[in-house]
Amino acid sequence: MAAAEFDIPEIKDYIEVPKLREGAMAHAKTFIAPQAVQDFMGYPHELADNWKESALEKMGDLLGKYRSLKVFLDACVHCGACTDKCHYYLGTSDPKNMPVARQDLMRQVYRRYFTTAGKLFPKLVGAKDLTKDVLDDWYNYYHQCSECRRCSVFCPYGIDTAEITMAGREILNHIGMGQKYSNEILGKVQKIGNNLGLPGPALLDTLEGLEEDIEADTGVAVKMPIDVKGAEVLLVTPSADFFSEPHVESLIGYAKVFHAAGISWTLSTHASEAGNFGLFNGNYETMRKVAMRIRDAALELGVKRIVVGECGHAWRVAYSFWNTLTGIGYGADDPFSIELQKQLDPNYPQPQHICELTNDLIKSGQIKVDPSLNDDLIVTYHDSCNVARASRMGTEPGGQFTIPRELIKSVVNNFHNMADDTIYESTFCCGGGGGLLTDDLMEVRVKGALPRATALNNVVKEHQVNFMATICAICKAQFTKVLPKYGFDMSMVGGVHQLVSKAIKLD
Amino acid sequence: MSTVTIIYAGLFYVATLLLVAGLAYKIFDYSRTPAPLKIPTTPAPTTQTGVVYRMAKEVVLFESLFKSNKWIWVFGWMFHFGLLLVLLRHLRYFTEPVWFWVNIIQPFGKYASLMMVIGLAGLLARRFLVDRVRYISTPSDYLMLVLLIVIGLSGIMMTFVVHTDIVALKTFFMGLMYFDVQPVPLDPILLVHLALVALLMLIFPISKLLHAPGVFFSPTRNQADNPREHRHVAAWAAKLDQKN
Amino acid sequence: MPMVNIAGKDYEVDEEGYLIDLSQWNEDIAKYMAVEEKVDLTEGHWEVVNFLREYYAEYQIAPAVRVLTKAIGKKLGPDKGNNKYLYELFPYGPAKQACKIAGLPKPTGCI
Repeated sequence: MAAAEFDIPEIKDYIEVPKLREGAMAHAKTFIAPQAVQDFMGYPHELADNWKESALEKMGDLLGKYRSLKVFLDACVHCGACTDKCHYYLGTSDPKNMPVARQDLMRQVYRRYFTTAGKLFPKLVGAKDLTKDVLDDWYNYYHQCSECRRCSVFCPYGIDTAEITMAGREILNHIGMGQKYSNEILGKVQKIGNNLGLPGPALLDTLEGLEEDIEADTGVAVKMPIDVKGAEVLLVTPSADFFSEPHVESLIGYAKVFHAAGISWTLSTHASEAGNFGLFNGNYETMRKVAMRIRDAALELGVKRIVVGECGHAWRVAYSFWNTLTGIGYGADDPFSIELQKQLDPNYPQPQHICELTNDLIKSGQIKVDPSLNDDLIVTYHDSCNVARASRMGTEPGGQFTIPRELIKSVVNNFHNMADDTIYESTFCCGGGGGLLTDDLMEVRVKGALPRATALNNVVKEHQVNFMATICAICKAQFTKVLPKYGFDMSMVGGVHQLVSKAIKLD
Repeated sequence: MSTVTIIYAGLFYVATLLLVAGLAYKIFDYSRTPAPLKIPTTPAPTTQTGVVYRMAKEVVLFESLFKSNKWIWVFGWMFHFGLLLVLLRHLRYFTEPVWFWVNIIQPFGKYASLMMVIGLAGLLARRFLVDRVRYISTPSDYLMLVLLIVIGLSGIMMTFVVHTDIVALKTFFMGLMYFDVQPVPLDPILLVHLALVALLMLIFPISKLLHAPGVFFSPTRNQADNPREHRHVAAWAAKLDQKN
Repeated sequence: MPMVNIAGKDYEVDEEGYLIDLSQWNEDIAKYMAVEEKVDLTEGHWEVVNFLREYYAEYQIAPAVRVLTKAIGKKLGPDKGNNKYLYELFPYGPAKQACKIAGLPKPTGCI
């Protein structure tokens, strides 16, 4: 790889808050989206002469559309509570990776052009003109934020840097500085149906191969149906589940669960992707367009339930936004939503997470498992950021923590949590979320994984943990790539349904 | 009527007007700006009652800050709770007869000023001592703390060291309230105290002090976590549905 | 876009060195990219590269990791039909490194 060399941080006994090193990550710049990619998204691909006016105009537009942005830019008092909370700051020591400093990159411009104090006394309140240097800082540091929301847990006003990063990226896109990785994927999902760009025939071929594998492995003909009209469940899962290791092990797990429970289910070529990178870019309409594929598929196939596979940000979009964006959910009184909602089975939450579904089936005895089949494993669980801090499972707040753990404990005998300040709502992002899972940001990804690697290392030492389960395609891809840099084996990362797959009884 | 009285009377009328109008505008502006998506930081309460409880813990106890950093929490809470008691105690200069509960908190309010200034001093010290906080501090961050400390210290001076003519001061403020301007006492410490309070009122609606109304409008804290059960759509976003 | 010149012929590649025009691919460019990737091309590597190209010609996408391991297992024996063997050949990941040498576009997504 031509990627620049960098030092791998050393894992210490606990997570240290480093001294500032200004400019430590100023060089980390993700590839800019080329013209073809930007054209499809309807964005320019280079700065025009009036880029500054366009940027400010877009900022004004967003300030009028998003209360979060307006309140968050006003309310910060620079108390410093968030300064040691971001995994990218902890891993890189670059002060601009402190949440407040990342926000200030936009706040300084907001103050200069949108507030009385900043117009009158810019120096006094830290207001700055929007220059090309400031813009470059935006590009670099809004692509060193995984929008994981850890800072928002600890902010006394709930300021969520993710909202500001999203707005920043939206403005950058609007003036021709899009990110290649995310925008290319947004093109593929809209043109082909999934982030990877797997066309229908390739998907069918892949699924057939998996059916053969499962039958060879278990002797049971577990099916992977696709585009089946009238199936009860539409399963929407990240396309990485079709393509990659260890993701595919969880896909096999889902199929076995449906088979064992006798639930008819289907995938969809049109909606062969749960992920929605529209979230990362902060563009409501893109996010809506991508989410509409699921609605269209559900209507087309006439399914009664919509279930989402192991994907962190997809679950955020599905759980928190699908009802808003597409009417997948309940409680609507408009014709657009009612059309779909009357089709869905009110006995189940819509959408439902695969962990909710499997956990219910095991608890009610509808499927049987033998946890001793996982006795070779000592398991810990990584709470994925979007699941932990931007969604829920079950009926009670915090179900997103208890349900996956209940499920894991029903299929394995050895389980240990990582340190309290690194799990549940305080969980550390894997380091690759929010559109950063690209090779050109490898340094950011490796360093950003330091807090999680530290916590993992401690349970490995203390409890001989040899498997870290997670329910996010990005987490899986990120960890299998970066944990080896810290000396861990890539095979120690996998999905919760990978564990289910091993323990489930199919007869 | 002396020039000083005219200046101070004018100052307080203008400051009050701008504070009230400025805050009212900001609150109006926040409330008219839609929150198109459900973004509570989870785990979050699933009901409105739960949201009120969450917000109360946030505003009264600074719950998130407590989770975050014990030093900022201690100093921040000392300052804010001290300030609250001090402000309530000051109601005695604006009411006649003085409300009974204001009399009850009077002794606490006096000593709360010390707590407030200690809290502020702690916050100021952090700005100098902690490299991360120093990095993010702007001149206004320091000046705001200094302003509040000088207000506090000048008040403490008048409470505990050199008493001012508090009866005359009350006459001045009651006069302002009933549009019958009375002379302001010409005590230099008092005049400094009053001028800085008026300054604080003036900058409140255009500064980071907007965190006070802002916290109530923070979508990550004031939204109920019920997106699967209720469809939440902003007006501008609902228009997109009609195109389908 | 950057250009690579090998034996007097220009090849257009993207920022990460992936070939832009698939039809330009030949053994020269494959060997050049292997050097860039610090991969010594052996018989096993060529099996993978050729399979990738065949698969891509049919499906317009690189094969899923499972599909690839199975195919290699069939060709080279079951002991080589696994992820471990592929990572021995292509340490940075078969999907990305092997695709580059085979002249395929880089597969991206949550992988």
